[in-house]
Amino acid sequence: MTQQTDRSSLLAVNLPELLARVDNDIDLVRELIGIFQDEFPLLLRLLQESVACEDAKRVETTSHGLRGMFSSLSAMPAAALAGRLEELGREGKTSGLAGALLLFEHEAANVRSELNAYLAEANS
Amino acid sequence: MKIVIADDEAISRRSLEKTLAREGYEVIAVDNGRSALQQLSLPDGPRLALLDWMMPELNGPEVCAAVRGQPDRPYVHIVLLTSKGSKEDVVAGLESGADDYLIKPWDPAELAARLQVGQRILQLEDRLVEARETMRFKATHDPLTSLFNRGVIVDLLARELSRTRRENGCTVIMLGDLDHFKSVNDSCGHVVGDEVLRSVARRLLSSVRSYDFVGRYGGEEFLIVLNNCESAQAVARAEAVRNGIANRPIQTSRGPLPITMSVGVLSSRDWDLRLVEEILGEVDAALYRAKAAGRNRVVFAKPTAVCNVPQPLAK
Repeated sequence: MTQQTDRSSLLAVNLPELLARVDNDIDLVRELIGIFQDEFPLLLRLLQESVACEDAKRVETTSHGLRGMFSSLSAMPAAALAGRLEELGREGKTSGLAGALLLFEHEAANVRSELNAYLAEANS
Repeated sequence: MKIVIADDEAISRRSLEKTLAREGYEVIAVDNGRSALQQLSLPDGPRLALLDWMMPELNGPEVCAAVRGQPDRPYVHIVLLTSKGSKEDVVAGLESGADDYLIKPWDPAELAARLQVGQRILQLEDRLVEARETMRFKATHDPLTSLFNRGVIVDLLARELSRTRRENGCTVIMLGDLDHFKSVNDSCGHVVGDEVLRSVARRLLSSVRSYDFVGRYGGEEFLIVLNNCESAQAVARAEAVRNGIANRPIQTSRGPLPITMSVGVLSSRDWDLRLVEEILGEVDAALYRAKAAGRNRVVFAKPTAVCNVPQPLAK
């Protein structure tokens, strides 16, 4: 049990926690991942554009949405990195945005990869 | 029970929708604060709300404040969903009118428990409102006939007379008294007497308009206030009321009883600027004359003379 918890904390998505939150409704998890796959690319592009033009306010609002999205998927490391971007946006600290975005993009890619792997396994 | 979920983040909204539907709620899911407020403002709208803090158009606290600004509506139990966890944020959310808050990501067991608390509070509120309404009804209505009691019907008369003077309108006042009612009580008993009073009350209500006032003025006396009724119609209206009692016997547990009513009637236009007590004195005098003239009749009170209206005799 301890081993599983430790392993979960190392992963981009805490799937046991996500499944527990939806009462092990695998169909719902599939649906949520589908929503993520539809909406995330648009939000990421919006965030990238906002960072590129140093629009701090838009960085804050877009990152807030992304933080909620990753948090709902029990992807807490990515949620924390989105939270960092939100904080920088709120404080108007545009100099740190590019670095924070890079870290976030990397973690978000891990989330996508794990969710895709989960879907492939669940569908097999 | 209906619940509205407002969250602009689609994954969170869908998870909540499915989780709460599984718990037996009738879920209305919207993606912004304005739509949530529209749902909560509907006549039969949800009384439980789960609102995200940050949303487009109206945020959660703004929806709370708008809902609390509608004091005549049934109470809505509002839970704010927030990823803001600081004490200042929690205080700000509760001060905006929220009843509770949940920090994202929410735990399903905690969510269900907090909404159950909300349902208990709403049930308690419903019982309190029901008790208040029952007490209000008892304080304003006659327990036997459910008509307005004497205090209320006299207050309504005073209010109506003031309005009539202000708007230069006309109010017609009738005071009716059942003829020989004591003999009903004496010969058939008070239970039957009560049955008669209840039937008379129903007939009086059915012979006036929905916005007229009918009250039990005394034992077998009834005061009727007809709003916006001109003098020319007063006698016809009073005659309709009298006839509504006399035209067919009242069915009681001791069989049908022929009952009649004498009526004094007065138009405020003829007695302008008189006090309520004086108006009541004049209509009572007209009623007295109706009794003296043979009962089961209407007598119209005029300031200079009393005009006896020819009436059909009792059957």
